[in-house]
Amino acid sequence: MALLLRVIARPGVCLARPQYSVIYRHVAPMGTTAKEEMNKFWAKNAKLNRPMSPHLAIYQWSVPMMMSVTFRGTGVGLSGAISAFALLALALPGQYPYYLDLIHSLSVGPFLIGLAKFGLSFPLSFHTFNGVRHLWWDIGKGFRIPEVYRTGYTVIGLSVITSLALCLL
Amino acid sequence: MIIKSHQRPITWTNAIRQRAGRHLRVLVTQTHPVFNMSAICVSLSRNLLVARSCGVMVMGRSVQTAAAPVTEPRIKKFQVYRWDPDSAGDKPRMQTYEIDLDRCGPMVLDALIKIKNEMDPTLTFRRSCREGICGSCAMNINGGNTLACLNKIDTNTNKPTKIYPLPHMYVVKDLVPDMSNFYAQYKSIEPYLKKKDEAQEGKEQYFQSVEDRQKLDGLYECILCACCSTSCPSYWWNGDKYLGPAVLMQAYRWMIDSRDEFTEERLSKLQDPFSLYRCHTIMNCTKTCPKGLNPGKAIAEIKKMMATYQEKKAAAS
Repeated sequence: MALLLRVIARPGVCLARPQYSVIYRHVAPMGTTAKEEMNKFWAKNAKLNRPMSPHLAIYQWSVPMMMSVTFRGTGVGLSGAISAFALLALALPGQYPYYLDLIHSLSVGPFLIGLAKFGLSFPLSFHTFNGVRHLWWDIGKGFRIPEVYRTGYTVIGLSVITSLALCLL
Repeated sequence: MIIKSHQRPITWTNAIRQRAGRHLRVLVTQTHPVFNMSAICVSLSRNLLVARSCGVMVMGRSVQTAAAPVTEPRIKKFQVYRWDPDSAGDKPRMQTYEIDLDRCGPMVLDALIKIKNEMDPTLTFRRSCREGICGSCAMNINGGNTLACLNKIDTNTNKPTKIYPLPHMYVVKDLVPDMSNFYAQYKSIEPYLKKKDEAQEGKEQYFQSVEDRQKLDGLYECILCACCSTSCPSYWWNGDKYLGPAVLMQAYRWMIDSRDEFTEERLSKLQDPFSLYRCHTIMNCTKTCPKGLNPGKAIAEIKKMMATYQEKKAAAS
């Protein structure tokens, strides 16, 4: 049986060998590709079960980093809030004035109402002004670190003033 | 500084030996020949005391010359990330070392070398040039990525200095991360001069105008220490597909090289949602760069080139 298998297998091997050598001749001088090295990296580290060095928990926060996260947060929040508002307007039975009167009838006091207004207006103004800052970056301006801080503080200042003004409308 | 601290003990012992020798001579000449042997014994045992007191005297003097008002030693705590691959089931932990800042060089790398030489030889980290040109000692010190050799020790002894490996990297041991993926990404951008006509290669020098050469300033100085890439949250979450600031800045360096003829091809290689566009201008890269370079700006320039390059392609078709 073993002999039979060997006899059958032999021509296959003979056929396969020249093909391999052709491929090998082309591959050898090129070394490994970047892709191969990346694949090796992930496979090796998964196999060795190495720990991941700490990152978010130990990295020191800075104002630009904080603003970047807030920009992402306000973006997600605003689009979510607008979609939710639109869907609720479709789904709920009453009209908009009815719900406005409902909020009025709760009489929660000026402080809480103001806070809620600020909670709505600040994300909007911050996202708008920081969006302008991003447009400024998109034309390749303001990339030195002092400029990054200066435009950052300007955006924060403008958004606070604007959102307060919106609250007082 | 390190050499000095090694030399100091030697000069002390010399001073002690000289003083002790003088005492011995005096004692021997004073004693009667009959009691010579016992006298020497006594003098030897006395010498020990003399030597000890001399040591104290010399030490006191060296402190006085180093800092005029005699103060208590400035003991600084260093908390260092440790993980040993060879002890099975070892969990990453922080180990605290205490160093007298008056007996240590000024940089964090000096402290690490002192720990390794004098306190704990198992502490593992990469270092080579000790002058910010090799990029080996890149690590996270007090929350920011930098080169240990260029980072001055914070002399406030109330606060410990915390040292971690570069963030979000697989740890080989202690402060040594696996950089293979970073290097493979660098390889993927083909960081070398490319010409369309290979037949002309090596025939003559490729000249460049002074202005064209100036465009490379602030780009070619990168030492690939990976401080910027590993400071980038986008690179933390998408390190497999996003190239990261260091590699992208080098991609830009070859795109704008007036001698390179593959600018369009280099740009088209980045034309996917991840390689380039995971950059959200967080600017941690530029803030942390120990060489004062601006990878954030370079990435913005690539993005601008991508826009016009697409226009060109549309115009051609």
